[in-house]
Formats: sequence, structure tokens, C-alpha cells
Amino acid sequence: MAAYIIRRVVWTVPVVLLVIFMTFTLMKQIEGNPFRKTERAVPAAVQANLERKFNLDRPWYVQYANYVRGVATGDLGPSLVLRDRTVNDIVEEQFPRSIELGLLAFGWAVLLGVPAGVLAALKPNSRFDYGSMLFSNVGFALPNFLVATLLIYFVSVKWGVLPTSGWTTWQHKILPSFTLGLVPMAYFARLVRGTMLETLQQDYVRTARAKGLRRRRVVGVHVLRNSLIPVVTAAAPLLGYIITGSFIVENIFAVPGIGRYYVTAVSARDYSVVMGLTVLLSIIVIVANLVVDILYGILDPRTREART
Amino acid sequence: MSVTEIAGRLAGVDAGAPIRQSSLWQDAWRRYLRNRGAVAAGVVFLLILAWCVVAPIVSPHDPNRIAFSDAYQGPSWSHPFGTDQFGRDLFTRAALGGRISIGIGFGATLAILGVGVVYGAISGFVGGKLDNALMRFLDALYGLPYLPFAILALAIIGTVNFWTMVVALSIASWFITARVVRGQIITLKENDYVRAARAVGVRWYAVLGRHLLPNTLGVLVITIFLELPGVILGEAFLSFLGLGINPPDASWGSMAQDGRDAYRAHPHIIVIPSLAIATLVLCANFIADGLRDALDPRTKET
Repeated sequence: MAAYIIRRVVWTVPVVLLVIFMTFTLMKQIEGNPFRKTERAVPAAVQANLERKFNLDRPWYVQYANYVRGVATGDLGPSLVLRDRTVNDIVEEQFPRSIELGLLAFGWAVLLGVPAGVLAALKPNSRFDYGSMLFSNVGFALPNFLVATLLIYFVSVKWGVLPTSGWTTWQHKILPSFTLGLVPMAYFARLVRGTMLETLQQDYVRTARAKGLRRRRVVGVHVLRNSLIPVVTAAAPLLGYIITGSFIVENIFAVPGIGRYYVTAVSARDYSVVMGLTVLLSIIVIVANLVVDILYGILDPRTREART
Repeated sequence: MSVTEIAGRLAGVDAGAPIRQSSLWQDAWRRYLRNRGAVAAGVVFLLILAWCVVAPIVSPHDPNRIAFSDAYQGPSWSHPFGTDQFGRDLFTRAALGGRISIGIGFGATLAILGVGVVYGAISGFVGGKLDNALMRFLDALYGLPYLPFAILALAIIGTVNFWTMVVALSIASWFITARVVRGQIITLKENDYVRAARAVGVRWYAVLGRHLLPNTLGVLVITIFLELPGVILGEAFLSFLGLGINPPDASWGSMAQDGRDAYRAHPHIIVIPSLAIATLVLCANFIADGLRDALDPRTKET
């Protein structure tokens, strides 16, 4: 196991470097340097100074090395458009809201999705089972801008229960987080149902029942614990869903977070911000993957040997 | 005694009686037809495709004609889906948008398959250290959100059209397919017929091309319908954010964006393209499930 963990951690480093490199190279390809002469007439001396300030006059590998050094020390560089702000400022200001939104969405998913899956598996082919699986299928299929619009239309506009947009009081946070949590919820319901059904057929479950343990205890002690492992493993791919979803949800509900800012930055051609945010989000996902892989080995000893 | 007769004897059937022979695909088709949900999904899927192809041809309305006097109409006989803020007929326009959305969807899915097959086949076939390196690389990238990379790719290419959307949506979405293909190749490689082929000196590309890749076809067909929903939604997200398909061209995503500002008074403009997306995605998911049950040998009836 230790060998596996070490190898897994060591492999993460070149992957992060590669992702930074790819993002960096892609950014170099973009036409339209914000300091191009054609866009705004700047005296040659000022142009040279600007390029020196942002290290644009150095060879690409020096720029890359500088950038990697910056990322390693937690410095994502200056914004190219907002002259008085750095990418770090933007991250520090906007990211907490996105994290909160993501966590709340994840909370909805665990709170509603997991019980739905458990109950569906305990009574397979019942009405509840069909109902929750139908919900799960529809939850996967509905684009979240439709869910958001319908929720705003009914809950906010027609019934006037919750505010339409913004991110200040707890009432503001219900609709966005629920919308964002819908896909993870559907995912959990289906995943937990599947693993529960599989676990219920294991020999040790039959043994536990045969030795006279009550069904509730068997489910509580043996089945649930083993069925919830995939919920942990699913956290990493779900993070991708939540990041992608946050672009839309933050946009519709006017949540001033990273997802919305990313789109703004692309439109404003603020490429250092786009690059910084892409690198940051990628590193978060890569690290989450790493943590989940290691956790999986700890939670499910059966996978250890296969992985070393 | 012929081979069929021996086989018949062994199976306890009268010699000479015709033995029902069926290929893998015929079997799969038979099993698929037994799954009512999957059949219904397939029919609806084909109906949507037919609507997208036929409606713009036969429709009396020009989907790009602007007539403010007809703006914001609800559904009626002459406009079954109503009209948008420019008075354009949504029934025709949504069909036209569907052509682009579905076209991009299949285009990007095929691109994902292409990259995934090459990467997965190399990894699985070569094996050893290369396989290990390629897979550790995938492990780390697993779950990377495709949207930032799609946005980035579009920013780099600089223009948004059908083909750049295909590239943008496939660029960070092929990891799972690659892993699935690699897994298939690894399993198939251990089969006796592959070893036999190698033992008699069949070249590696013939082994790969004749024995391994054709046997991954079933999985690839499933993968098409597994990847399609994500790509269709991805296109919709990009266009909804204003970073995708531009007017006057329409996709379901860009049509939903058109309806965004008027959602209070005229919700049908955003709801119709969104429901088209949802229906297509739902059908694709059901088809994928049906295909998996039909093609996966593990769930095969005995």
C-alpha cells in the first residue's frame, strides 16, 4: 500500500507539470496579446516596459519555468486586464463562494441522493424504486439551465418564496445549490442502488442473515458500510461535474464565483486569469483524484493488492 | 458425418434438423428488442433525427426570416412551438438547431472514439512500462472538467463553427473511452485465438486489426451513446454561455440562450430547445443501457 501511495503521488507531479505546460502552450498560441501594437497605440518604450514587466520578452521556457515556480509558491501572476489586481486576488475573493456553492450542492446530493438509492435497493422493483430511478434518469438529462430557469420561474417569480439571484443570505443559496446538486444527486441515487443490490447478494450478507441477525442490523452493519464506498470514489468525478455545472449555475443565479468569472475573463481576453483559473481547477481535480484513490485503498482493503 | 450433424448430436438435437445459427449482432439485436424501454428510446431518438432532417425541408416557414409582427407567439397550428423574439418559427428553427447540436454531438463523439481507441489500443497492446505510464497519466486526469478546456480551445482557435466546436468538446473528454478500450484489449489479448495467431506468426498489426479491434466494436457502439449525452450538453452549455454557436446559426443551446431574457413572459422559447436536449439525452442514456445489456457477454443469457 505504501508503495502504491508513493508511486501515485510521484506520478501526480509530471501530470500537473504537463497540464500547466499544455495550458501555457495553448495560451501562447492565442492571437491577440493584450499589449499588441495594433489594438492600442502605446509608445515603443512603454510597450517594451510592459513586456518586460510580464516577462513577455524572455524565451518561452523561461516564462514557463517562472510560471511553474509561481504556481508552486501559490502565485498565479498578475491580471492582464485589471492592472491593479492579481489572479490571486480574484481567486481569494471569488473562490470561497464557489467552494460554498459546491459543498452545498454536494450536501443536497448526499442528503437526498444516497437515501433514495438505499431505499430503492431495499425494495427493488417497487414503486419507490421506479420513481427514484425515473428521477435519476431525468436528473441526468435535464440541462441545468432549464432546471434553473424553471425553479426561478416558479419558486421565485410565481410563488415569490425565494430570491431570483445573488449570493448574500441563506435564502439566496438554496436554488443555486439545489440546481447544481441535481446531477450528483441523480448519480448517487443510481450508484448507491447498484452497489447496494450487489452487496445484498454477497455471501457474508446471507451468512449474517442465516445466523439470525435481524435484517435491519445486517443492512446497517454489513451492507450500508460496503455500499457507501463508491460514494467516496465518486467524489472526484463529481467534482468535475460540479465545476462544469458551476459555470452555468453561477451565471444564471448571478453568483459572483469562479465559474462566472471564468466566462467573463474569456470574454475580456484576460488570459492570465483564464490560465490561472484553469491550472487551479485542474490541480484541484488532480489532487482530489489522488486523495480518493488513496482513500479507496484504505476503505476497501480488497483493492490494495490489485493496485500495488 | 458433417460438423453440423456432430454439433446437433452433441446438443441433443436430431441430426439433420436445421440448427438456428445467429451471429453476435443478431443475438444482441434480439435481446435489445426485448428491452421495451430501450426500444421506445430508440424510436423517439429516430423520430427526433427525422424531425431535424425533414422539418426544415417541408416547413412553409423560413427559420431565419425576421418578422417582428409575429414575435413571441405561443404554440398554435401554424407555429406548433410558437415563435421567438424575432418572430421566427420555433418548430422549424429547433429542427435546424437540432441538426447542428446532434451533428456536433456525433462529430465530437466520433473524435473521442478515435483518440480513445488509438490511446487505449497502444496502451493495452504494447503493455509493460508504456502501458503503466499511459495509465498513470489517465488516472491523474480522470474527472478533469471538460468545460474550461473546451472554452480554452475555442479561445485559442479564435473562431467558432461546427468543426471547432467538435474539437473543443472532444479535447478533454476522451479519457474514459481510452481506459475502456485499453481494458478490452488487455482482456482480449489473453484469449487463445490471439495467442494462436501470434504463435503461427501473424504480424502484430494483423492481430490488432483482425482479432482485437473488431472485438471491441460492441463496447465502442455502447460508448457512442454513453458519450453523446455529455457532448450534447457540453455544446448546449457553451452556446448558452454565449461562447458557442453564433447567430444567425442556431443550436439548441444558442436557442435556449435566446429565450433566457424573456423567460418570465415567454418561457416556451427557452423550454422548447431545453426539452429537445433533455429528450435526446434521456433517449441516448436508455439506448446505452439497452445496448450494454444486449452486447455485454457477462449479462448474456445462457
